Amino acid sequence: MLADDVVKKWVREDEEARRIRREKANWEFIEKQPPRIRAALKYFIEKGDRYVAAKIAGLPLDEFDEIRRKANIPVVV
Amino acid sequence: MIGVVDACFIIDWCRYRRRELLERLFSVLFIHEETLGQLRSEKTITYVSDLLAKGKLRLYPWSHSEEDEYLRLRSEIVVDPRIPSLERPDMLCLIMAKRLNAILLSENIGIHRVIEFHSKYSNVVVWTALETLENIVYKGFLNVHSAEDFLRYVREYEHDTSHIFKSNRLKQSLRRIGLWLRR
Repeated sequence: MLADDVVKKWVREDEEARRIRREKANWEFIEKQPPRIRAALKYFIEKGDRYVAAKIAGLPLDEFDEIRRKANIPVVV
Repeated sequence: MIGVVDACFIIDWCRYRRRELLERLFSVLFIHEETLGQLRSEKTITYVSDLLAKGKLRLYPWSHSEEDEYLRLRSEIVVDPRIPSLERPDMLCLIMAKRLNAILLSENIGIHRVIEFHSKYSNVVVWTALETLENIVYKGFLNVHSAEDFLRYVREYEHDTSHIFKSNRLKQSLRRIGLWLRR
């Protein structure tokens, strides 16, 4: 059973990570990408989940990660 | 010390300028064949193949009982929207780490959250690159004379891999390094 304070902590952590990804991202680069890649990068900015983002992009994990780096979106851990 | 690596950790670590330190920290690392299957880029594959050739990285022999454990774990967490999605290979790594009493090297938020609440997995030790760097220092494989020295190594890693460690985690890590320096 998940305690409320644990879930609240997770929400705060997620918000901090999302803010950092949004601030650092190269939005001009992202907007120039083909639709699937663009959607995947935007998903990654919101959720920080590389596995699902790679699936959206239709790319292997490490190939998506190359694009993530080019888009200057950090992994926040 | 035994470790288990997940895909994201190894993808990131192979870009780090001091990546050879991982081999010094762990006597052996294990990888699941499905994790290996997630890796496609030349840089990652070259690094992983090299570790396999040196015998530092080994394929984990997955068993039927572990498959049953995977099905149990999946059913427990898949329906909870508060847990970030976990792919099958991530959960396999968690089960491997528990079975081997190994350190799981993972930056997957979902994995970190499972060990925060799941009584069966709460004793699994999961390190991100930050704790890995910290332990490399404790073992004397990186020379650090001040917290600032350690911070420089952390910044190198962040730069090489396009990472940012959360401020509160970094503060805790620097505090531990400070205490270790004063030992």
